[in-house]
Amino acid sequence: MTLVDTLPAGQREVLLEVDNISLSFGGVKAISNISFDIRVGEIRAIIGPNGAGKTSMLNVINGFYHPQEGTITFEGVPRKRMRPHHAATHGIARTFQNIALFRGMSTLDNIMTGRGTLMKRNLLWQALWTGPAEAEEIEHREAVEKIIDFLEIQHIRKTPVGRLPYGLQKRVELGRALAAEPRLLLLDEPMAGMNREEKEDMSRFIIDVNTQFGTTIALIEHDMGVVMDLSDRVVVLDYGKKIGDGPPEEVRNNQDVIDAYLGVPHE
Amino acid sequence: MLYREAGDFKTTYRSDQQTFPIKSERFLFWAVIALVALAVPFFINDYLEKAVLIPFLVYAMAALGLNILIGYCGQVSLGTGGFMAVGAYATYKLMTGFEWMPMPVIIILAGFITASVGIVFGLPSLRIKGFYLAVATLASQFFLVWLFNKVPWFYNHSATGQITAPPREFLGFTLTGANAEPYATYLFCLGFVFVFAWVARNLTRGRIGRQWMAIRDMDIAAEIIGVNPLMSKLSAFAVSSFYIGIAGALYFSVWTGAAEVTEAFGIDKSFDVLFMIIIGGLGSILGSLIGAAFIVLLPVLMTNIFARWLGMSTEIAEHMQITIVGVLIIFFLIKEPHGIAALWRTIKEKLRLWPFPH
Ligand SMILES: Nc1ncnc2c1ncn2[C@@H]1O[C@H](COP(=O)(O)OP(=O)(O)O)[C@@H](O)[C@H]1O
Ligand SMILES: [Mg+2]
Repeated sequence: MTLVDTLPAGQREVLLEVDNISLSFGGVKAISNISFDIRVGEIRAIIGPNGAGKTSMLNVINGFYHPQEGTITFEGVPRKRMRPHHAATHGIARTFQNIALFRGMSTLDNIMTGRGTLMKRNLLWQALWTGPAEAEEIEHREAVEKIIDFLEIQHIRKTPVGRLPYGLQKRVELGRALAAEPRLLLLDEPMAGMNREEKEDMSRFIIDVNTQFGTTIALIEHDMGVVMDLSDRVVVLDYGKKIGDGPPEEVRNNQDVIDAYLGVPHE
Repeated sequence: MLYREAGDFKTTYRSDQQTFPIKSERFLFWAVIALVALAVPFFINDYLEKAVLIPFLVYAMAALGLNILIGYCGQVSLGTGGFMAVGAYATYKLMTGFEWMPMPVIIILAGFITASVGIVFGLPSLRIKGFYLAVATLASQFFLVWLFNKVPWFYNHSATGQITAPPREFLGFTLTGANAEPYATYLFCLGFVFVFAWVARNLTRGRIGRQWMAIRDMDIAAEIIGVNPLMSKLSAFAVSSFYIGIAGALYFSVWTGAAEVTEAFGIDKSFDVLFMIIIGGLGSILGSLIGAAFIVLLPVLMTNIFARWLGMSTEIAEHMQITIVGVLIIFFLIKEPHGIAALWRTIKEKLRLWPFPH
């Protein structure tokens, strides 16, 4: 354990700072003036009703959407406009609300693809294969096998992902994100549509990723029980605005948050 | 017990990643290679060479290239004929401009030249996909054919507008021109296909291949997990055009010996090669070879069976052949998008378990 780990989440170093972000699509304002931070080593939940702007927020963080206003600062560096694959090479990985696996490929190949940002051999070496390219492949295969063991998916290693049940696909998607060894992991509803048992497994994996690998996690989740159990701090969105931010217990008792979830009409 | 996997355990990741993980399959592969490389040259004749073997090898090369682009990277292209023309004309200019240059070097250079042209014509893929990309590549097909017709420099101002391969030797074997030896041209083309099928296999099993497939299966997710779409798509266009350029180079230099662009490299070439990879199997190296063999052999068989033995007119045989190809393409697109190669894989899986099906 490092010193950082022993501090409460609110006092750790800031990993990602979201400052005054606004994003709109045509006339629709998906995000309005939102600011919050994510600190090193924490699990930061992002909650809110459907259409609140949670997924859009993750899309902004990994460079897929470009906000009209505001700045994102990652590891102390304010970010200019960037492409999503730059975010990935800078250590931000994610999973998707709707599964976005590479359906024509096996579990193993999906997760290996997640390591692409760490592999260096160029086209000519790969054309030759024997030698450096093969050595690199084996080195990364070993790392991927550790992830496969960690997620307990050894038995489906060579199965095309299209044939897997939903719950396992979600797990493979987590594996693919982990393969990049991210410093910030964005999880968009990793437990949506899962039964109780699958949710427990997934929760366990998320906690283990956070504690064993020290990965900082931003987690979108609807199940309040899960959010209360897992997260260090919670940010609450509603209609693109931030209506709450703090430790889970505090957020749960916040009147605005309760109203948003109960569907109290906006004035 | 033809096909044994039991007792053939993988203990290292290296052996788990082999091209032929099963011993009997490895043996079969090398047996076939030995046959085609060592035995065939002794009984090859002009007919076998010009009607069967060289066409197969040339189209196999083109199919490998197109399969990398469409089957692995998911970028549809109808520009194959145009890129083959680039390979052919590059070969012609190199053969006539640099007489000292050895043939293998010329063919490889023609590949590289086609690759750079492919990159340029691949640029639209960064913006458009699917049907629209197909149309854009179709435009490149027509543009390239037009260009080679229009600019006399490409055909050295010859009066006919044709290009003709001058006679060339390599290591004492005549490869081009009227005196080319069937066994020499065959081995020459076989060498290229053998080496570059192996290279294609290498490229598709590593990082770059996985990134191509990621772009194919879900381009947005691929980009978000760190695949650079620009590098990925353009490298697929480059590698694909390299192969197709070599196919065009061999087509012109060792197969036909002469070519006129509209006739030799028209849009029908693009479709022929497309049909090969659909029937053989999208996203499969073996499928590219099977598809090429199928489309090359079908007319040969049809003429022999229907015209020669059953006494039908060659015209009817030709129509039957077009119908058969059409029906097969519909069948494979609907029932088995991974082509004959996938059927073969299924049979293998059954054989592995035979005689106990569970
Ligand atoms: N690409 C897009 N184009 C247009 N509108 C979008 C797009 N993405 C999100 N939105 C809109 O932004 C709002 C927030 O959506 P989203 O971020 O998906 O919400 P959540 O994930 O919280 O359910 C919604 O009104 C949605 O319709
Ligand atoms: Mg969402």
